[in-house]
Amino acid sequence: MRRRVVPPSSADTPPVSNTRLAMIVLITGESMLFAGLIGMYLVFRLAARTWPPPDQPRLPLGLTTLNSAVLLVSAFPLAGALGAIRRGEAGRVARRVELTALLGTVFLAVQGAEWARLVRHGLTLGSGTYGGSFYVLIGCHALHVLAAVAWLAVVAVLARRRGFTRARHAALEMCTLYWYFVCGLWVVLFPLVYLF
Amino acid sequence: MVRTKRTAFMLALVTGWPAAQAVAQSCAMCGSSFGPDDPVQRAFSWSILFLMAAPYTLFGAVAGWLFYVHRRAAGHRRAAVVELAWSRREAPAGETGGQLT
Repeated sequence: MRRRVVPPSSADTPPVSNTRLAMIVLITGESMLFAGLIGMYLVFRLAARTWPPPDQPRLPLGLTTLNSAVLLVSAFPLAGALGAIRRGEAGRVARRVELTALLGTVFLAVQGAEWARLVRHGLTLGSGTYGGSFYVLIGCHALHVLAAVAWLAVVAVLARRRGFTRARHAALEMCTLYWYFVCGLWVVLFPLVYLF
Repeated sequence: MVRTKRTAFMLALVTGWPAAQAVAQSCAMCGSSFGPDDPVQRAFSWSILFLMAAPYTLFGAVAGWLFYVHRRAAGHRRAAVVELAWSRREAPAGETGGQLT
């Protein structure tokens, strides 16, 4: 008797896909890394009698607030792209992903310019706990944004070449999750470092 | 039985009460290095509290979300017709799978 294998029905598929589970594990691990860094920053910040130290430059609050808005706004085109794919509308997905990557690049460029100015004013990695904790914490976040922008670029290329469909868009969904993580992290880090 | 339980409770209370106070004291290094309202001591306290809460919050949130998603999916599955795996695998060609009657 010839036998055949029938693909599993939708009732057999797990409620959380393996890729999403892997992404959650990655984001949880990354969150613990940043929890450790925030713990380090809290020790230095709360132990200091004056913060920032009197001989150190102040952080540029206005420019960074605008830059934060750029990063947070960048999540909207990506959310739109994911929503469109889920509704089965594949058009303009690549353009939305490219827009998010562009806004992320703007965020990184402004951060880099801000850092160059701070270094010129004497705030370096070796200038005490203030400079050290600032560059390690914010620099670690900037590295994550850089990695996320590179990932967005890859997703944009994939969207242009072969396109995503309603059934196959895991790369876009995982990239979106990671971008949400990077934006959410900045919502915690910005008030902690610049306002607290 | 009730008397034994009461004796055990009283024994635990008598031995545990002074021990709890001893445990609550800081170690010799922290106790002697910092004053009663030292900012370094306060900084370490808040940092330790944050680092203790972070993993429980994170893993609790993830575990809660996974539990919620699986529970919701199980509810959906209960409403669907359940096919046994062997009935699909061993079904002859041309049949999509048997169902229990």
